[in-house]
Amino acid sequence: MKQLRTAIVLLIVGGLLTTVDLFWAFFRSTVVSFGTVTLSKTVETARPFLGRSALGFQYGKAWFSQKIFYFHVPVAEASFLVFGVAAFFAIRFLMTRRRDFDTKSRIAMETTLLFVILTMVTGDLWTRASWGVWWQWEPRLTTYFIMTLLVIAYFVLRNSVEDEERRAVYASAFCIIAFIDAPISFMITRLIPSDHPVVFTEGGLDPSQLIPFIIGQIGMLMIGYAIYSMRMHEELLQERLAAAKESLEG
Amino acid sequence: MAKISAMRQFRAILKKDIVMELRTKEMLTSMGLYTLLTLVVYYVALSRAGNGFDVRLIAGGLLWLAFLFTSMLGLNRSLVHEKDQGCLEALLLSPLDRPVIFFGKAVGNLIFLLIVEVLTIPIFIFMFLASSPIVGPIWEIALALLVGAIGIAGIGTLLATMSVNTSGKDFILAVLFIPIMFPLLYAVVAATSGVIIGDPGYQHLFWTSMSIGGGYDVIMLVAAYGLYEFIVGA
Amino acid sequence: MSEASSTGLALEVQDLSRTFGARKALDGVSFELPRGAFLSIFGPNGAGKTTMLKVLSTLTNPSKGSAKVVGLDVVQDAVELREHIGFISHNPLLYPDLTAEENLEFFAEIYCIDDPKDRVRELLAAVELDHRRFDAVRTFSRGMTQRLSIARALLHHPEVIFLDEPYSGLDPHAMDILDSLIASVRSEHTFVMISHDLQKGLELCSHALILAKGKVVLFDERDALDPDEFKTTYRDTVGMGVA
Repeated sequence: MKQLRTAIVLLIVGGLLTTVDLFWAFFRSTVVSFGTVTLSKTVETARPFLGRSALGFQYGKAWFSQKIFYFHVPVAEASFLVFGVAAFFAIRFLMTRRRDFDTKSRIAMETTLLFVILTMVTGDLWTRASWGVWWQWEPRLTTYFIMTLLVIAYFVLRNSVEDEERRAVYASAFCIIAFIDAPISFMITRLIPSDHPVVFTEGGLDPSQLIPFIIGQIGMLMIGYAIYSMRMHEELLQERLAAAKESLEG
Repeated sequence: MAKISAMRQFRAILKKDIVMELRTKEMLTSMGLYTLLTLVVYYVALSRAGNGFDVRLIAGGLLWLAFLFTSMLGLNRSLVHEKDQGCLEALLLSPLDRPVIFFGKAVGNLIFLLIVEVLTIPIFIFMFLASSPIVGPIWEIALALLVGAIGIAGIGTLLATMSVNTSGKDFILAVLFIPIMFPLLYAVVAATSGVIIGDPGYQHLFWTSMSIGGGYDVIMLVAAYGLYEFIVGA
Repeated sequence: MSEASSTGLALEVQDLSRTFGARKALDGVSFELPRGAFLSIFGPNGAGKTTMLKVLSTLTNPSKGSAKVVGLDVVQDAVELREHIGFISHNPLLYPDLTAEENLEFFAEIYCIDDPKDRVRELLAAVELDHRRFDAVRTFSRGMTQRLSIARALLHHPEVIFLDEPYSGLDPHAMDILDSLIASVRSEHTFVMISHDLQKGLELCSHALILAKGKVVLFDERDALDPDEFKTTYRDTVGMGVA
């Protein structure tokens, strides 16, 4: 119970922090550089688009959804982190064959799935804001798309194996391989020169932006942990219920 | 007490797969036919592109697309043999290190894939690239084929060992295989296309892609080697 | 490297458990089996018989407790132990597209046997399949496949032979052949068999074990058993599961 309470507290705090991050970004922060473009002057935020220039957006006012950046990057990094947690538990499972490690790995993957989908959605919104199109095969979006496919594949695999233990072994092995594959995918699209420009660069964050960014990051991680804990709690309850049922059946 | 030699066991597994394949010709014919059918579909897909269209621009991609799907076909079959009569269990009961099974099967798959690749390239050139010659040296394409095939055979064998035990075998293999293959596919297509098109600076592109592809192969082979023991015994 | 014949026992199982999550396939199983014995394992479906065999043949690891086969631990000495065990199943465990000879030669190579060709010929003669050795296994009848399967199991002179429902699917003639083959190698080997055929199992065995829900219900020498009492116990336990 105590863990559940902690989880709920963390969820609320995490949610608050993320909201603070967003609002700060909305109304206070300035945009110094955006994508591959460095602005000639800092711009105010939270005003609608004024028009299109050759590069796809207008200096002057930055659009609401450009601030999605402050949500997108924390979610993206959190998703990768949770993926790492899932892979860690997968390794522990293979080493010890204890089912609770497999359960932990699976719940972490569920959380990863949620975060990855959020990453895709926010990334898409930002692409729309900066390039005016709904999709671009640029490195980061592509990598996250692949990651989404990997996480979905994990669950498809789980679903298709009947035997409980074999399911856990296969899922753990795939989780580990997928986790190794994700960063390679990321680097591949960066390292091999192509026509697609890199839209998302990390550069040029002004101190006034760094703080909301970090707040948002921490907030997101808290949300991640909270979701994970609450799911685990639910899962443990289900297991106890199943065990009780089985012992009643004698 | 027998002296267990991994080399002897590895050779036995490899020889068995080759002999079985030569006898039934199951994998090679199905893979070969599948590739030819893919080429027909390519013709249809390109038929509206007009005469001015330079197929070389997408030739690398088309080739690897064909190889990718053909290889999935072959990978599945090679593992189905073992599962059918429970032979894999017999191997697991013998004093055989699990990784030897992996290498035996993976090398067998590699050989079959290379054969299909080597036979497909001339046909592809004949059908689509007759009028626009390949700019770069052929041996570089051969290298790209090798690097790609090694990655496909390595990870493919691992994933196929899993997928053959699921309900939905071919489908599951595809779902697992394609996202994992993405980086390698990207690299070898870049390399192959670079050589075929021959834009200035393609050598740099080629060698960058090859080194990343090679890196992928090494990392994934090590991972597959480490994980195979768990998977094959489950 | 431990000496295989240090103890006189073929099997030493101590408090063996195998659980996964909440499910207990084996729960505190203990027994000992002397060499040269023939153990028949009975029990309803899901009793843990197959798991027991899997642990003893090193296909699965126990969660708790220990098991030793001919003095070798199933976990620590697994690879070495596999040189001493043979396995006959209701699956033929043979490659249908290879010939009988090729199949045996393949497994001979896997077991790294000295003079493989001689050993293969010897066994083919023993199971009376010498005349069909160049034929693909897919052309064999069920009985012939089972005979070849036994040849495969005996290639490496195993000390312990595991049998997983070897009689299922066999016609009476094939059953007889299997019987005589087992009888001919009976003296040099220890056997552990799972069978749903109570009569066959009792007929062949020297020791009987009944498992239910992963626990030992009964373990004794066959000759020490009271036949009626055994049949009642058997009916009660096996009747419990979906037989």
